[in-house]
Amino acid sequence: MPETDFVLVQDLRKAFNGHMAVDGVSFNIEKGEIFGLLGPNGAGKTTTIRMMATTLPITGGDVIIGGHSVHRNPAEVRHLIGVCPQELALYLELSALDNLVFFGRMEGLSKAEALEAAMRNLELVGLADRAKHRVAKFSGGMKRRVNLAIALMNKPELLFLDEPTVGVDPQSRNHIFDTIEGLRDQGTTILYTTHYMEEADRLCRRIAVMDAGRVIALDTPRNLKSRLGDPDKVTLEDIFLDLTGRRLRDAG
Amino acid sequence: MGRSKAGVPFVIAGKELKLFIKDTQMLFFSLALPVVLIFLMVATFGAQARFHATAYVVNLDRGGRGEELVDRLSAIPELTVEVLDEATADSRLATSEIVNAIILPPGFSEAVAAGRAQIEVRRRGAGGTEGQIAVSYAAAIARELAGECLVAERVKAVLAGMGTFVPGPTVDARVSELFAGSRDNPRITVTEETVGGRPEPVVVFLPGLVTMVTLFSITLGAVGIVEERKKGTLERLMTTRLTRGEFLAGQWLGTLSKGLLQVVFLFGLAWVAFRIFTPASFAALLAFGVIAIVSVSGLGLVIAAISKTPEQANWIAVFFTMIMTVLGGSFFDVSGAKGALAVLSRLTYNFWANDGLRRIIVKGESLTSPAILTDITVLLALAAASWVVAILFFRLRGDGK
Repeated sequence: MPETDFVLVQDLRKAFNGHMAVDGVSFNIEKGEIFGLLGPNGAGKTTTIRMMATTLPITGGDVIIGGHSVHRNPAEVRHLIGVCPQELALYLELSALDNLVFFGRMEGLSKAEALEAAMRNLELVGLADRAKHRVAKFSGGMKRRVNLAIALMNKPELLFLDEPTVGVDPQSRNHIFDTIEGLRDQGTTILYTTHYMEEADRLCRRIAVMDAGRVIALDTPRNLKSRLGDPDKVTLEDIFLDLTGRRLRDAG
Repeated sequence: MGRSKAGVPFVIAGKELKLFIKDTQMLFFSLALPVVLIFLMVATFGAQARFHATAYVVNLDRGGRGEELVDRLSAIPELTVEVLDEATADSRLATSEIVNAIILPPGFSEAVAAGRAQIEVRRRGAGGTEGQIAVSYAAAIARELAGECLVAERVKAVLAGMGTFVPGPTVDARVSELFAGSRDNPRITVTEETVGGRPEPVVVFLPGLVTMVTLFSITLGAVGIVEERKKGTLERLMTTRLTRGEFLAGQWLGTLSKGLLQVVFLFGLAWVAFRIFTPASFAALLAFGVIAIVSVSGLGLVIAAISKTPEQANWIAVFFTMIMTVLGGSFFDVSGAKGALAVLSRLTYNFWANDGLRRIIVKGESLTSPAILTDITVLLALAAASWVVAILFFRLRGDGK
C-alpha cells in the first residue's frame, strides 16, 4: 500500500442469495482525495459503501482504511470514518443541534465536546442560526446539510457521501460543494457517489464507474472523457452512457 | 477526544424520552386517553349500586292466580315486570333482545289450587344472571301461592271434621288475609347495615387499565426501533462507536422511562382524584410498577427484533396487547379460572402484573408478601426470557455489528 493511499479496496465481493452484488471491486483512494464512485442504479455502489463503512458483512476480499482492516478490525475503522447516507438518517422531531449532539455522544464525545462540535459543524453547513429549530420544519436542502453535518461530528479522516445533493436547490447544493471542498483542503479523504455527472466532474479527482457489481473504468474525469474525443467538448454523462449503456435501470 | 461509554445508553434513553414528549399525538394517547377511560369506566360501572333486573312474563292463565303472581312479582323492589304476549316474547327471544321469559301456562290457577304450581321458562343459553334470579323469584311466589291454597284446603277439612260449617270463599279469604298479613309483617326480617362505602370502581379497574395502557404503549414503542431501521438512523448509528448492546440497553431504558412516566402519572392522578392510596401503598405501587415495566419492555424488544416494518410491529403489538389484556384478567378476575384459561392466563404479563397491583391496592399487601414476591419473580423471569429472545433475533437479523 503506497504511503499516500488512505483507502485500499482489494477484490471486494458481496453475495446476496447467490447473486454477486459486488464482484471483485478493487481501487485505492489517496489521502485528501475526493474519489467518485459512479454507476447506474443497482451497480453496487451503496453495497460497496456499506461494506466499507462496516455495516454490511463482507463476502470476500477486504478494505483497508487508515491501515485497519474493515474485516478484522471494524471498531478501529469506525473511529476514522463519517457516513452521510443517501437517506435522511436523522430525527426530524428534534432540533438540528439536538441531532448533532446526540450523534456526537454516540461517537463518544462528552456533552461539552459534542455541543462544541455541533455548533462548529452547523456553522460549516450554514445552519448555525437555525440550530435550535426542529429539523421537520427545514427545507429539503437544509435537511441534507444537517445530514452532512452529522457525518462530521467525529472529525472523520474518511467521509462517505452517498448522493448528498439529492433533491437539493442550487443554493444548498453550492453550499454543500463549498463544504466538501473545504473539508478536502483540510485533508479529509472523501468517497463521493452521485447521479449528477457535473458534480462528479467538478469535485472528484478520480472516478470509478461501476456496473453489475464491477468497476468498469477508473481514471480522472478528463482522461475518461478523452476516451470519446475532445475532453473539453465531451461530457462525463457521455462517457457514463457509453460505458454503462442506455438501457433503463430500475434496481435500487 | 474523551470516550465516555458508560452514559451512552442514558443518552439514547434521553433522546427517546425527548421524542416521546415532542410527539403530541403519542403523548395524548399515552397519558390523556387512559384518564378518559378511567372516568368512563367509573361513570359506567360505578353508578349502579344495587341489583336490578327485569322479569319478562307471559301470562296464559285465565284464572286469577297468574295475575296474582304478576302483582306479587311487581311488588319486589329489585324487579321490574314487563308482561308480554307469547308471540312478542318468542320474537324478542329469537333476536336475543331478551334472554329469558317466564311463561304462566294455561291452567296455572287450577294447578295452584291443587297445590301443584308449575311455571315454564323459555331462554337463550342459560338465560342470563338477572333472568335466572327473576325466575327464582317467580318460582318462589308460585310455591307460596300453592302453599296458601293447600293451607286453605286443610283448614276447610279440619273445620268440616269439627262439624263447623264455614263457607269455602270465607275460609279462602281469611287464609289469604292471614298470609298477606304475614307478608307485610314477616316473622323473619332482614336488616341491612352499611359498613362502608361501596367498593370504589376505580380500585377495581385501575390495575387492569394501567397494565393494558403500559403494555400498549410499550409494545407500540417497539415501532420506534423498527422505524430507526427503516429510516436509516440505526445503520448510521452502527457506523459510530456505539455497540449493539449499548443501543439495545439505551432503547430499553427509553422504553422503561416512558412506561414509568405513564405509571407515575396515572397512579399519581388516581391518588389525587380518588384518594385510594396511602403513602406506603403508593410507594409500593410505584416500585412494583417499575418491575412490571421492566418485564413488559422486554416484550417490546422482542417485537422490535422480529418485525420487519413499522406496520408489522404495530400489528404484532396490538395482537399481543389484546390477547394479554383478555387472557390476563385486566377487566375481569381470572385468578379463580380453571382449565385452559387458567394455564393461558398465567402465561401473560398482565396476569402477574394485575395480581400484584390488585394485592397492593385492594388488599394493602406489602412487596414482601409471598404472593407479591411470586408475582415479581415471574415478571422478572419473563423479562429475562424476552431479553434472550430479543438479542438472539437481533443477532439473526445482523443489525449492525
